[in-house]
Order: sequence, then structure tokens, then C-alpha cells
Amino acid sequence: MKAFKWLLAAVLVLGMAQAQVVLRALMEDVPETHIIQKLLPDFEKKTGIKVEFETVQYGAMHDKLVSQLLAPESSYDFLEVDFLWAGEFPAAGWLEPLEPYVEKSGFDLSPYLPSMLDLVGYYKGKLYMVPMYNYAMGLIYRTDLLEDPQLKAKYRELYGKDLGLPQTLADYVQTSIFMKKYAGVAGAAMQGQRGDPNFMEFSNYVFGNGGDFADGSWHVTLDSPTGEQALDYYVKNIRQAAQKGALNANLDDTYREMCEGRAWSMITYWWMLPQINDSAKCPKVAGKVNLAVMPGSHGVNGGWGWAIPRNSANKEAAWKFIEWVESPEIIKKRALMGHAPTRRDALTDPDVLAKYPYYSAVLKILEGAKKVPIFAYTAEMEDVIGREVSQAAAGQKDVKAAIHDAAKGLYGLFKKAGLVK
Amino acid sequence: MRARVGVLFASPGVLVLAGVVAFPLVYALLLSFSSYTFLKPTLTPFVGLTHYVEAFHDPYFLNAVKLTTLYAFLTVGMSLLVGLSIAVLLFQPAPGKELYYAVISIPMLIAPVGVALIWKMILHPELGIVTYILSRLGMNAPDFFGDPHYALFTLALVDTWQQVSFVALVLLAGLRSLPKEPLEAALVDGASFFQRFRLVTLPLLRPVIGVVLILQTIAELRTYDLVYVLTRGGPGAATDLLAYFIYRKAFLGLDLGGASALAYLLLFLTLGLVIFYYRRVFQES
Repeated sequence: MKAFKWLLAAVLVLGMAQAQVVLRALMEDVPETHIIQKLLPDFEKKTGIKVEFETVQYGAMHDKLVSQLLAPESSYDFLEVDFLWAGEFPAAGWLEPLEPYVEKSGFDLSPYLPSMLDLVGYYKGKLYMVPMYNYAMGLIYRTDLLEDPQLKAKYRELYGKDLGLPQTLADYVQTSIFMKKYAGVAGAAMQGQRGDPNFMEFSNYVFGNGGDFADGSWHVTLDSPTGEQALDYYVKNIRQAAQKGALNANLDDTYREMCEGRAWSMITYWWMLPQINDSAKCPKVAGKVNLAVMPGSHGVNGGWGWAIPRNSANKEAAWKFIEWVESPEIIKKRALMGHAPTRRDALTDPDVLAKYPYYSAVLKILEGAKKVPIFAYTAEMEDVIGREVSQAAAGQKDVKAAIHDAAKGLYGLFKKAGLVK
Repeated sequence: MRARVGVLFASPGVLVLAGVVAFPLVYALLLSFSSYTFLKPTLTPFVGLTHYVEAFHDPYFLNAVKLTTLYAFLTVGMSLLVGLSIAVLLFQPAPGKELYYAVISIPMLIAPVGVALIWKMILHPELGIVTYILSRLGMNAPDFFGDPHYALFTLALVDTWQQVSFVALVLLAGLRSLPKEPLEAALVDGASFFQRFRLVTLPLLRPVIGVVLILQTIAELRTYDLVYVLTRGGPGAATDLLAYFIYRKAFLGLDLGGASALAYLLLFLTLGLVIFYYRRVFQES
């Protein structure tokens, strides 16, 4: 009888172990993932659902995800999706629409910044993702150089106005060129490498100059006087104010330039600020660097969203996880641990602001941030426009022809995606 | 009966070969005639030669073909020239040759991505050792990968650095296998070192050079990793080699049909050059 009881207990334990839901996800190997990983025991305790992360570098993510999404059943139960794929994945029918889950659970979307929901929430009017974290772009600059009396005097002498934080794109390029000439540093650390680096950087010039890639009806607007002027400013800055080698530089190169005190400014992801202000990493400039909205008030928005693949075997449990990880309590915990919020409540929380005062600047950046066209061929768009921008910057094509060809290429991609006739 | 047994024994090998070589080739050919994309992964509708025709109307594809051909000539030419010189030097009697062999083999043993990263730092426009040395000598270092005038040539130099060891070792093996009599006869006739090399060694080495030429050409036409790590096809379109172009077509354009057609065009280009070399080197000799 005793042996039977033990056997029964063992069978029950085994049965329970088999019944336990295990959620798996492919995650980028970045601090955001590590923050969530630290909080996972709380979710497991609350729900009994186990979560396992497979962490990889960004470069390996897209191909891995696509192969899983094409399979009859995915190994991943929920996904983190970069905004660059936020058109491709829903267009291919790989993601589960989330409205039914939101309605059923009463999940509150109102704290999310509209720019984030627009970027990684909705696709063609349907909610496919819940914003996860942001990496919008802004201007990072050296305050000590702006306050240098000699530079101030020289600037006034040359331009008849005070040296200060540039408010327009024209001002920014002028100040960059000035810094290169008189401050002994590059005016702008620029990531001119063809593809994602120069496309992202150039997009800030387009938005900062009041332009855009397309209107709401997918009509290409890049080939306009503002677009052409934006490219002209970009080319001028990379040729006259940037560091040597800017045409082949990427994000790491620009970080090194700023960190070593060899540049006055960089247009980059806002999360670069705490890295450069870290005295252990960048002793030459730590404490002398600040963050501002892109000159012209609009920079590029960037971010990741949570999604559930259509071929997930555990959709309900996956939604439970998303609901938990995006709950106000966990969001605040994540924010205090260094998470880049996508919600207004986290960015304005007094405790969070006390720890990260620059989040007020991040909020301003997010409020003005604009998105590049998100559609099935966003990644190819980066390549096509990046190629034209690089040709103009390298002097292989004049600005007018380059912006015309970039617009033509973009139209071709919209057409291929079936967005225009 | 013996023929049947032969077929029976050969069939496993033939089946493996068909699965490993023929199936991917036939499938890629089918894809190249289809509208298969990652978004719509079906072989229909059949689009015939559309992808091939489109390729010839794409100026960037034609630019990639031109650059790739030039790149292959540059890298194969330089590695043959330097490799042959090293092989001839190593062929001479000298003490401690094992050390030379070991040193010369090192580049060949490093993964191309590692080679690219090493040279990226060596030639870095601000942090690189080459920039530092040139600046100490009072010279202004060129922007090796950021200037469209230098980028392709620099890429070819980096590639040559890695390929030279393979070429040198194969040619050295070739030199060692040459018959001694013709060289000794030339020596007795009073031929100088250069006369012996030009009139005896080189003609005898021709088949080995031919093999190296063909193998290197095939490898260089497929160059992808160096471009990916060092330049991403830029600046502008200065280093946009075919293999990288095809990769982008498949994984950024999500167009597997189009990419397969381009891959077939690369295969034809490779075959064309290989046949050309084969005829020139082997049939004429």
C-alpha cells in the first residue's frame, strides 16, 4: 500500500511537471533582456509558467526568427520584434493580432506614447505588438565646448550670434563645421557606412529639416526641396565636419570618437548618453555630455515590440507574460533598473526621474520622434536609400540625382509591397 | 552481370551526390524561374526569364559584375605574383625553413571574418597602426575603406594577404615535383637564374599555375565575408561585389527567386572564366 502511494505521488509529480507550460523566446543579448531575466522568477511564482530566453546578437535574430515563423510550429512562444521588421512580419501573416487579447484582459494601452504605438504597435490599423522599449535618436553634444569662452567669442565674431545648442538643421551643420575648424575636434561623429548606419543618421536630417519619406497614402515625398536640402546638409556635414573615415564608420566608431573626446556631437540613439557619461568608460568626457532633441525638433523613432507568433503553441500563456512584463508595477521596476520606457507613466515617475534625470529629455525626443516607413521591405529600403546617400557623400553622384534615385527606389519598393499602383 | 554489380555499388554514391549537389542546383534553377519570396513562399506563378532580364536592366547589378570581375583579376593576379615569388624563395636552400612554412601558413588558417576584423583595426583611419606609422613619418594616411578610390583595392590587398599562403604552398609543392633534369641541363648550358626560371621552370609549372588560377578565381568571385565586415558594399557602390549583392537580394529584398537567378548568373560567369583559363592553360600546353 505504501509503495502504491509513493508510485501515485511520483506519477502526479511527473504529470504536473509535464503539464507546466514553458514559454520560449529569442531575445537580443542586450541589457533590456538581462533586466527582464532578473525579474522572471516573479512571473513564474505568480503564474507557474516558466520562461526561457535564448539570447543571441542582433545580427543573428532576423534569419533565426524568419525560419521559425515559416515553420508549421514555432519554437518561440512570444517574440521581441525590432521596428524594422514591424511591417514585414504582419504583412507575411506571421503575427497574431492582439486586439482580442487586449479586450479580453482589459489591458490598458493608454499610457503608451502615441509615437511608440504608431511605430511598433499598429500595422495597417491592427494591433500586432505591444511596445517593449525605445531607442529613439537625438543629439548628444559636448557642453564644455559650447561654454568655452574663446569659442564663444570666435563664433560671435564670425556669425554675429551666440554659440549655443542648435535649434535647426542649418544651425547644427554650421556649428559642426565651426567646431571642426576652431575646436580641434570633429564637429560631428558620423556613421556614414552604407546601409543601416547612414540610413538611420540621414533620416534624422530629413525629419529635422521638416521633410519625410512618404505621406499617409504611401506617396513618396523624399524627392522634394526639403529632402534634397536635407541630403545637401548631410553631405556638407560629412565632408566638412565629420571625423576621418566617416564614410565607412558605424555606431561603434562614432561612440569611440565621442568617448575619446575627439568630436563635439553625434546624432545617435539616446541610450548612448549614459555610456559616454560613464567616467569608467569615457573619463575624458564623462560629465561634459548632454542629450537634446534633434535640431529641427524631429528625430527618428526606434524601438522593439512584444508579439505572439501565429504558429505559437502557447498563445494564451504568451499573452499572460506580455501582460505581466508590461504591467505598471514591473514597468517601474524595469525602469529603475535601466529599462528604456515606452510609456509616459514610467518616463514621468518621480523615482525614475530622480535616478535618471535625462529621461525628461528622452520624453521630449519621443514626443517629437517620427518613424521611417514601416512596411514589408523596410530592411531593403535602408539598403537602397543608404546606397544613394553614400554615393552622394562619396561624391559619386550629385545630391539632386541621388535624392531622385533614392525616391525612385523607394517608390519601387512601395510598389513591390503592393502599397501603391 | 558485372555491369549490374557495378551499378549497384556505385548507386549509393550517385544518390548522395544527387542529393547534395544536383538537388540544390535544380531547386535553385526552379526558384530562379519563380516568384518565390519569403512573404509568399510558393513556386507559382512561373515568371520565366523575368528575373534574368531584370538583372541585365539593373545598373547596380551590372556594376557589381564589373567590380567582381575586376576584383577577381586583381586578387588572383596579386596572389599569384606574390605567391610565386614566395614559393621560389622557399624553394631555395636555407636554414630554418620549417619556421617560414609555419609563418606563411598562418593567414590561411584564420577565418576570413577574423582577417577582416584584424585589418579593419590595422587600417582604421584614426586608431590604426598604419595611420600612426604614416603620421610619424609625416605622411597623411589615406582613408583606406572610406574613400571610394581606395576601397576596392584595399579590400583586394586584404584578401590577397590571406590567399597568398595557399597559393605559395601549392606552387611550392609544384616546384618540388618538377623534374630536375631540364633545370640541370639549362645550368650546364650556362643559363642564368632568370633564364632558367623564365624558360624552364615557368613552362613546366604551367599546369600547377593553371589549377591555382582556376581555384582562386572561383574563390574570389564568391567573396562575401570581407565585404560584409569591412565595407558593406560602400562607400557608395565602390565595393558592391556580386555575392554580397545576391545576399541582399535574398535576405533584405526577401526575393529568393530573384536571388537564385543572380546566383545562376554568377555561376555562368565563374564557369565562363574557368573554361577560358582551362583552354588557355591546359589545352594550349
